[in-house]
Amino acid sequence: MIKASETVVDADAAHGGHGDGNATRTVRVRVLRQDVAGGESYWERHEVAYEPNMNVISVLQKIAASAKSQDGRRVAPVAWDCCCLEEVCGSCTMLINGRTRMACSSLVDRLMAEDGEEIELRPMSKFPVVRDLVVDRKRLFGGLEKVKAWVPVEGSYDLGPGPRISPEEQEDAYPLSTCMSCGCCVEACPQYTKVEVVRRDDETEAEFEKRRKAAFNAGFVGPHAVSQAMLFNAHPTGRMIADERMEALTRQGGIQMCGNAQNCVAVCPKSIPLTRSIARAGRAATVWAIKKLFDR
Amino acid sequence: MPVAAATTGRNPSAAQPSPRPIVSEPSPSFLERHQFLIYRLFSLAGLIPVGAFLVVHLLTNASILAGDDGRTFQSRVDMIHSLGPLLVPIEWAFIFLPMLFHAAVGFVIIANGMPNVGSYPYVGNVRYTLQRASGMIAFAFIMWHIIQLHWLGKPFGGGQFDPHHAASTAAEALQPTLVAILYAIGVLSTVYHFSNGLWTLGITWGLWTSPAAMRRANAVSVVVGLVLAAAGLGALGGMRSVDVSKAREAETWSEKQKRAVTVPGAAVAPTPIPVAPH
Repeated sequence: MIKASETVVDADAAHGGHGDGNATRTVRVRVLRQDVAGGESYWERHEVAYEPNMNVISVLQKIAASAKSQDGRRVAPVAWDCCCLEEVCGSCTMLINGRTRMACSSLVDRLMAEDGEEIELRPMSKFPVVRDLVVDRKRLFGGLEKVKAWVPVEGSYDLGPGPRISPEEQEDAYPLSTCMSCGCCVEACPQYTKVEVVRRDDETEAEFEKRRKAAFNAGFVGPHAVSQAMLFNAHPTGRMIADERMEALTRQGGIQMCGNAQNCVAVCPKSIPLTRSIARAGRAATVWAIKKLFDR
Repeated sequence: MPVAAATTGRNPSAAQPSPRPIVSEPSPSFLERHQFLIYRLFSLAGLIPVGAFLVVHLLTNASILAGDDGRTFQSRVDMIHSLGPLLVPIEWAFIFLPMLFHAAVGFVIIANGMPNVGSYPYVGNVRYTLQRASGMIAFAFIMWHIIQLHWLGKPFGGGQFDPHHAASTAAEALQPTLVAILYAIGVLSTVYHFSNGLWTLGITWGLWTSPAAMRRANAVSVVVGLVLAAAGLGALGGMRSVDVSKAREAETWSEKQKRAVTVPGAAVAPTPIPVAPH
């Protein structure tokens, strides 16, 4: 580590240095890149000047600015997704040192203290790669669609104010409402396995969409969708379509696919009690299945 | 398409000499359509009857530890075999078939998952991975166990267990050290699989939902697991330390007793249990 820093000092001195007092340290990054969807992936090393309080996004910004790999080759800037930079939008999820997390809230100082000097960046492994660190998370949102994770208020006339929600119910629901669809839970879930559907030449866009949706629906819906279903089934207006959500949760790829590894709750950046939601969904599914059996 | 053909007045098959093959999706299989029901039955079968049988089986075997040359154990075995011709259908309906169902669905579940304990070494994830590993070990062990001791294994050179000479035949079968080691691994895997499965079953069915309730249920599952592990390993050690000749003596006596009861008119008071010479 010291040796590496010294060489950097020499290199900086040879180029006149930066004169910002932090040029003594660099951040080494290993990125798993992929130029096109469905293409080959390859590793590429980058090195950027260290600054205090950097996060992974600022490292990627520096890589984009230099657009040079560690060995000095000119390369296309690494592509990634981000938006809010304060861990509420959920768009910058990636595998940082092998673990799923938000790039914006992954601080370089902490990563280096925990895992050593080099930072490894990989795209999420459960979704098809679009390019570099950008993935297509359509299936994640498909899961929310499947369980109808919304309050049905659409209509042509004023429905008036909704029912009141007690402070206890609010307190119970609030943590679930902080879900930002980042996909960390499904990335860490051993039961949520990658589904990548490639469009065939002889297929129309609509046919492809249909086939892809069917493939998505066959796989596990995911902890995030289970939790959202429980959130909206607890809501006094959302409850109006509770049966439709239970129908969805007990279809193929539903709640029964959970293997109780409980990784979801361990990696959730918002500390959402996902396993509590899953257990509640299990209970609701038990009651719903018995009701369905005897009420038909 | 028929509308287009009518308005243009052309023959559709002539207009399209090589029609695009219709992309038809395979309709979901039986397993896929009834996935929820099948997985819930799978979960239930793990507890009742398969898990319940495991508990009875291990506790029955642990009676070898009574230290009476297998007399208590023999009487328990006799009790089970007093079912006579009903034993075979009961075994198939409540043990073998539910176990095969549980195993078959279990293998499908294992095939559909992708363990990632290397990236996420959390306790829950380790338990998830062990649950699958122990399930496969338990399945292999139980298959071997049945062939080795149950009469079904006779055509395969097994079936060493004789219910009329319970302790002595079990003791003889378990003598080789390798067999004992494999049994210890098999029993511990099976017990882990059951007790960990007990905890996850409660989450699956929604019995314990809050983190605090899950912790309490976990403590109970651990105790159940430790008791069953002690019973299983105790039975294994107990069987291996049985004095085979003394056990045979006791079994011969017990067999005479059984004959005496079945002979009509022989209303003789049962002879007192001979005290084994020390």
